[in-house]
Amino acid sequence: MALTVSREFTDPSAAELLPTVRQMCDDLLAPRAAAAEEAGEFPREVFRTLGAAGLLSLPFPEEHGGGGLPLHDYLQVIEELASAWASVGLGVSVHTLACFPLAIFGSAEQQQRWLPAMLGGELLGAYCLSEADAGSDAAALTTRAERTQGGYRVSGVKSWISHGGVADFYVAMVRTSDDGPKGISCLLLDADSPGLSARPPERKLGFSASPTAQMVFDDVPADGDRLIGQEGSGFGIALAALDGGRLGMAACAVGIAQAALDLAVRYAHERHQFGRAIADFQGLSFLLADMATQVAAARALYLTAARKRDRGEPFGVEAAMAKLFATDMAMRVTTDAVQVLGGAGYVKDYPAERYFREAKALQIVEGTNQIQRVVIGRGLRPS
Amino acid sequence: MDVLVCIKRVPLSGGKFTITEDGLDIESAKLGFTISPHEEVAVEEAVRIAEKEGGSVTVLTLGPPDAEEQIREQMAIGADRGILIETDGQEWDPQGTASAIADAINADETDFDLIIMGNESADASGYQVGIRVAHKLGRPIATGVKGITIADGKATFERPVKTGRELYEMPLPAVVTVLDGLNIPRYPSVPGRIRAKKKPIERLNPERPQPKLEKTRLEVPAMKAKQAQVLGNGPDAAPAVVEIFKQIGVI
Repeated sequence: MALTVSREFTDPSAAELLPTVRQMCDDLLAPRAAAAEEAGEFPREVFRTLGAAGLLSLPFPEEHGGGGLPLHDYLQVIEELASAWASVGLGVSVHTLACFPLAIFGSAEQQQRWLPAMLGGELLGAYCLSEADAGSDAAALTTRAERTQGGYRVSGVKSWISHGGVADFYVAMVRTSDDGPKGISCLLLDADSPGLSARPPERKLGFSASPTAQMVFDDVPADGDRLIGQEGSGFGIALAALDGGRLGMAACAVGIAQAALDLAVRYAHERHQFGRAIADFQGLSFLLADMATQVAAARALYLTAARKRDRGEPFGVEAAMAKLFATDMAMRVTTDAVQVLGGAGYVKDYPAERYFREAKALQIVEGTNQIQRVVIGRGLRPS
Repeated sequence: MDVLVCIKRVPLSGGKFTITEDGLDIESAKLGFTISPHEEVAVEEAVRIAEKEGGSVTVLTLGPPDAEEQIREQMAIGADRGILIETDGQEWDPQGTASAIADAINADETDFDLIIMGNESADASGYQVGIRVAHKLGRPIATGVKGITIADGKATFERPVKTGRELYEMPLPAVVTVLDGLNIPRYPSVPGRIRAKKKPIERLNPERPQPKLEKTRLEVPAMKAKQAQVLGNGPDAAPAVVEIFKQIGVI
């Protein structure tokens, strides 16, 4: 069911796009989500259709084949997609994260060579930062890129890689020197690079249709022109990409929570006990009221952060606040949605339990909510 | 291959229609507009032909100035240029519409190899304009088509019939009217929308000819009540069900 949220966009072309997005949600996403999640099937063809319609490149400049939309508008499209099928909303955000380093820090030559195919929708991306012993402390990563004649050879294992094994290109943060965060560089690698392989996908609580896997780099050769930005600038690139990525996660969280709220409201008006709809009991209606208020507040917070970014102002703290608040909110709201549906919320005949499982992931990914608090706390200084 | 597709701006169906006070039109102030499903597949087919064979796709409509919206939408799918035969919102009868379209085609600098139309419009369903345009242009036409193949300067049209399918082979230039199911139209793309804004639309303003067909009154048909008959409960219903199966020839 399409969201009934009334939306405001900065760019009029986003408003024109919205009916198509909602049509795709109704036609392609919502009807397949439950079965594909149950079966753990990655919907590659859905991403092809989205790509052909230009939905995998919305926030990138028109001259590279992007949609030229402000982040404020792009994120609302992510929210719509995530409300119909969270794995797809998440996947579009992950793809954007993977395109970001080349689109912002790549040379004109690199952008001309690779960006059109990445933004054109045929290719799907993955972003490789975390490792088994470098999660929240990402700068501790040990995957090494040794210099060779004309390039690098990469060895190591990356963990928790969304689209691992199904992506067409991998953006990897690798160690080019032992100089802590300053020894990290960013490489763009094709999926078919020799020595690059995926371990079997993780068995997860939710998002089963979006594969997460370890990526093994076994002496993977990379030409020198695969380096994005300068040697040693990779950690800064990774963090800059994550600022935008966190807003993507906030938008996904709001989409999931909105879907849970809509389901709870519908159910509460259909379900009758003691001779009336359960929505007519004040105890339940107050619960729904709190859910609706929290969803609206989280949406306002991520859109405020996005507008700051769109104005060119620093927005890292606001992005962390939005990710923290929206994903914690989604956890509460989806928990309450299960409660509103009662037993029906706990069984798989309704999507409430799925929303609940999906919300949990978002409190962890792209910086745990503890790390978001670290970022926010660091930003608090007496003026 | 230069392909022309004719489209018509029609109210979004599915909603509830209200008729204006004079009884001659539907209340359109709050309605969204679209084109018929037959025409969506027509544009998609034209774009596929141009992608494969090279050439261009032109979209033509006769309608109010606001019909530019429908032309731009089809440009986002891939049409290259538009022709808008502007009316003042008054309805044109099929004869007048076909004459204006044929005149526009004759006057255009492009010699269209193929003209594709929807089999009938979603609002008036006159089934006439395609045939009248083909007649005026002196070109062959196939109607109700669900398959188009272009090869060696000839077109093969496939039409489903009850007992199978009919194939028509025609020299080009030709006219064809199509049904939905011909293909699955793509979604308009974001870059397509951006490009669509810059594509050219030519506007023509012919006089509305004296209509030979007048609309006198519109009526909303009364909703037909659905009839359901309870044949019985549980096993008791079985004999009645068997009787009905016999009547309709299932057993």
